[in-house]
Amino acid sequence: MIAALLLIAATATATATPTATATATASPKPQAYAAPPRRLVLWHSYRAAEEAGLLASIALFEQRHPDIKVELLAIPYDAFPSKLTAALPTDHGPDLFVFAHERAAGWARDGRLAPLAGDADLLGIEAMTIDGVVQGLPLALKSVALYHNRRLVPRPPATLAELAAIARANTRAGTYGLAYQFTDFYYHAAFLNGFGGALFEEPGHRPRLATPEAERALAFVRDLRGAMPEEPTSTLVAALFREGRAAMAINGPWFAGELGGVDYAVALLPAPLRPFLSVECVLVSRRARQPAAAASLASFLAGRESAVARAVEGRQVVATRSAYDDPRLRGDGFLMAFRAQAERAVLTDSSPQMAAVWEPQKRALVAVMSGVDPAEALAQAQRRAVAVSRPAPATRSAWPYAVAAALVAVAAVVALRRAPRRAERQPAGTVARAYAYVAPAAASLLVLVFVPFAFGVGLSFFHHAGGRFTFVGLQNFADILGSRDYRLSEPMSFWFTLAVTLLWTVVNVALHVGIGLALALLLRDPLLRFKGVYRVLLIVPWAVPNYITALLWKGMFHKQFGAVSHLLIALGIEPVGWFTHFSTAFAANVVTNTWLGFPFMMVVALGALQSIPHELYEAAQVDGASRWDQFVHVTLPLLKPSLLPAVILGSVWTFNMFNVIYLVSGGEPGGATDILVSEAYRWAFQRNEAYGFAAAYSTLIFLVLLGYSALTRRAAREMEPA
Amino acid sequence: MADVSLRGVWKSFGDNAIVKGVDLAVGSGEFTVLVGPSGCGKTTLLRLVAGLEQPDAGEIAIGGRSMGGVSPRDRDVGMVFQSYALYPHMTVRENLAFGLALRRTARAEIDDRVGEAAALLELSPLLDRKPGQLSGGQRQRVAMGRAIVRRPRVFLFDEPLSNLDAALRVQMRGELQRLHQRLASTMIYVTHDQVEAMTLATRLAVFHEGRLLQQGAPLDLYRRPANRFVASFLGSPAMSFLRARVASGRLAGAGFSLPAPPGADEGMEVEVGLRPQALALAAEGPLRGQVEAVERLGADGYATVRCEAGPVTARFEGGEDVRVGRSVAVAVDAGQVHLFAGDGRAIEVRVAVAR
Repeated sequence: MIAALLLIAATATATATPTATATATASPKPQAYAAPPRRLVLWHSYRAAEEAGLLASIALFEQRHPDIKVELLAIPYDAFPSKLTAALPTDHGPDLFVFAHERAAGWARDGRLAPLAGDADLLGIEAMTIDGVVQGLPLALKSVALYHNRRLVPRPPATLAELAAIARANTRAGTYGLAYQFTDFYYHAAFLNGFGGALFEEPGHRPRLATPEAERALAFVRDLRGAMPEEPTSTLVAALFREGRAAMAINGPWFAGELGGVDYAVALLPAPLRPFLSVECVLVSRRARQPAAAASLASFLAGRESAVARAVEGRQVVATRSAYDDPRLRGDGFLMAFRAQAERAVLTDSSPQMAAVWEPQKRALVAVMSGVDPAEALAQAQRRAVAVSRPAPATRSAWPYAVAAALVAVAAVVALRRAPRRAERQPAGTVARAYAYVAPAAASLLVLVFVPFAFGVGLSFFHHAGGRFTFVGLQNFADILGSRDYRLSEPMSFWFTLAVTLLWTVVNVALHVGIGLALALLLRDPLLRFKGVYRVLLIVPWAVPNYITALLWKGMFHKQFGAVSHLLIALGIEPVGWFTHFSTAFAANVVTNTWLGFPFMMVVALGALQSIPHELYEAAQVDGASRWDQFVHVTLPLLKPSLLPAVILGSVWTFNMFNVIYLVSGGEPGGATDILVSEAYRWAFQRNEAYGFAAAYSTLIFLVLLGYSALTRRAAREMEPA
Repeated sequence: MADVSLRGVWKSFGDNAIVKGVDLAVGSGEFTVLVGPSGCGKTTLLRLVAGLEQPDAGEIAIGGRSMGGVSPRDRDVGMVFQSYALYPHMTVRENLAFGLALRRTARAEIDDRVGEAAALLELSPLLDRKPGQLSGGQRQRVAMGRAIVRRPRVFLFDEPLSNLDAALRVQMRGELQRLHQRLASTMIYVTHDQVEAMTLATRLAVFHEGRLLQQGAPLDLYRRPANRFVASFLGSPAMSFLRARVASGRLAGAGFSLPAPPGADEGMEVEVGLRPQALALAAEGPLRGQVEAVERLGADGYATVRCEAGPVTARFEGGEDVRVGRSVAVAVDAGQVHLFAGDGRAIEVRVAVAR
């Protein structure tokens, strides 16, 4: 590590001279020693074929520039954006990285990227040209196009009417005319743009989602409902198309890798439809240690040679126009189709306001596909977008708060000193040893619990936008509790979500305790055989990681393909869309969470039951108690001291059960089944990175639970046996 | 009040037969004590009467009605458990009232009966406490009160005094006797302590290894034990036994010869049973030996003398000078000699005049 730093320092001083000499390939100056190779670090999130294409390009570059060594780092896509946000302002970031323009534009606006020389050969260069300065060079173009199964649809549709007709004609039992992720706004954008809809109004670039064009686009898609599979996920669409059970699909170049042997072709989406175009660029960090070398690598990667390599090996739809003169590319129907679609696509808006549009649009799509009127759905989406893209609250001075905090700290210290010493003075050695034993656990608690907690509470006093934090005092709390921007009874209101969370907790804990206790009573029967087997089987739900269980149940609740729907059909009941109504979505969540939670209560109840002396039941029998009387007057009261802590614990866990809510219902319909903790998550990671707001949410959750434990502690103390 | 009758009752747990063919009749209003060493089946028998176990064979009847298949709650019995089994989460008042509350008895009547039982057992100041706040004796009384309040036909006691200290035990014995006199109810009492058995019972039943060995009035059993076990079980200190042979009207054993009481057959191998009260330390007597151990109890004392035929325990007056190691002679009251045949059966003897 240190050697590497010294190396970098040495090369940095060596390249402090004007850039012309750094990349000189002309007569090398005589040197006393061979210069160490210059090092460039490039981050990307490619896999498989695309990664192979990139590697091939890098190899070519290194051949041309033997004095430059390129180090690649592949980062999984989910972690990539936040890693970059964190690393770009520091010295530990990459020199170059590859990213799509939607997000990259944000980093450019934050001043993280170095300017580059433009190239007219590149398609889509305007995506990363901000205020006239080119800050990224396009490498590949990504948009969706129309995949069609050549056996079912030999000639692709040329108009919207044809698309609808072919889709309906090809829909029979088990086969669908069209399969695509219609609840994902990225795909729907093709229709929105096709019907002439826009997302923003000028001046001010404010979201304007409730337009007649948007309504028409939604209505068109809704009318296609019968020809498409419901609740489509990427896995479902791929599976259907692969098995020849989807005549057409709308998807991007990445889809090809999942299709196996089905006979398909890619065509342009019928005429008015214009999908979003995502331009994947190579970008140079402003803090690159070798700016000239980095710029030269970037130019090379966007250049013709690298483009051909990436197209041939990585199957990328490259942005370099001249690359398409190569016969290998020209003969590739797949690449040419996507290239043609790219010309007819619309650059995805990369303004900061765009981030606030995705979730509201998704909610509107889900609502319309489950029967809500498009105008109403869009109106709600508009309200959501406005609420999410809330302007920053006024910055406040931190001094009053600092002073208040200092006063509180002083008061706490005084109170502690004043408190009567209850323990006797221990010899110093004993005390020191005791602290030594406690120290490791205390240290880990400090680092893992207290420090993040304090950080989170502190964060709730700030507002975050584009990497910058401003102090806003208690404004976040006021906004949350005052339910600004939306009605109290709307799902995005804190109070609505609090009510849902309370209902969620009460129903679940009641079921957990009820079922757990009933099973424990059954297992206690001394005459029951195979008790050991039952006990193991009943523990299994708790043992399986709840993440997996949640995904399994979500699959089972799928309206068309889920096991629950098949069961309902077998019973002669019409299957329902579980996630289109609050009651059924809530029930689906409750079923999953109860499945996960009852074993814990069962185990606690079993243990508690075994601690009740058998003689008490005999005495009760002699006194004239029936089995029910015995349960009510002996079992239940004696179980209470053991069950109460379990109930308290269980309710706190359930209150914060993120996994089930997020993975099973995903908050549908329209965010109604979201609980406080999943709302906080969305504020932080799905709505404009509103970290401060989300931290305030979390602090409120903490305060609610704190109050709850204080109440239950009092109840528990009253229950202490005399 | 009701009488209880058991006829030919058998009960096994797994392969172990715990109660082997017991016939027992408890009259209405009698205080019957079931006594015997640990493991002899007396507690199991009590639980069979209560209905907490079902017999494998035989019949149990309460008040003339067969209790086959009747659950404990329908038998109208009250039971006091060895560990009291008080409901820990209820106050004393609630414990006492529990049985009545289950039967939806009127509030006023419950209060009456609870008050009455509490007064009888001196529990009135404790009514609002929980069992955890009571001493052993107080809990014992609450357990009894709980049974009394319901006024059952039969009271069942399962070694209720065994968890109490000696002084409290004596006091509670007296209270139990008073209780029986007051309530005049049928009581079946199980204990392994023969002192309790002797003092409390109007009828005594001795059990050993699942069988009923003898039943009758306590003094009857004491004076005329039907077999060796009953003889050795009742009476403290226990009877001493010496082997002897009946020869020409005398009991001839190792180092001693006693006149044989009438009824003993010539040539029989017998065991001679001698209670400490039948023996005395004297200058002369049929038994001779060295004093092995001395127990002084104040008013009197017991000396164990090692004779040639075996150890015997003799009673002496408190003031007598008895020392370990001394050689003494033991005089025998011939009228209080018990004889037992080889199989343990007592040999009926006609009362003979002391010689």
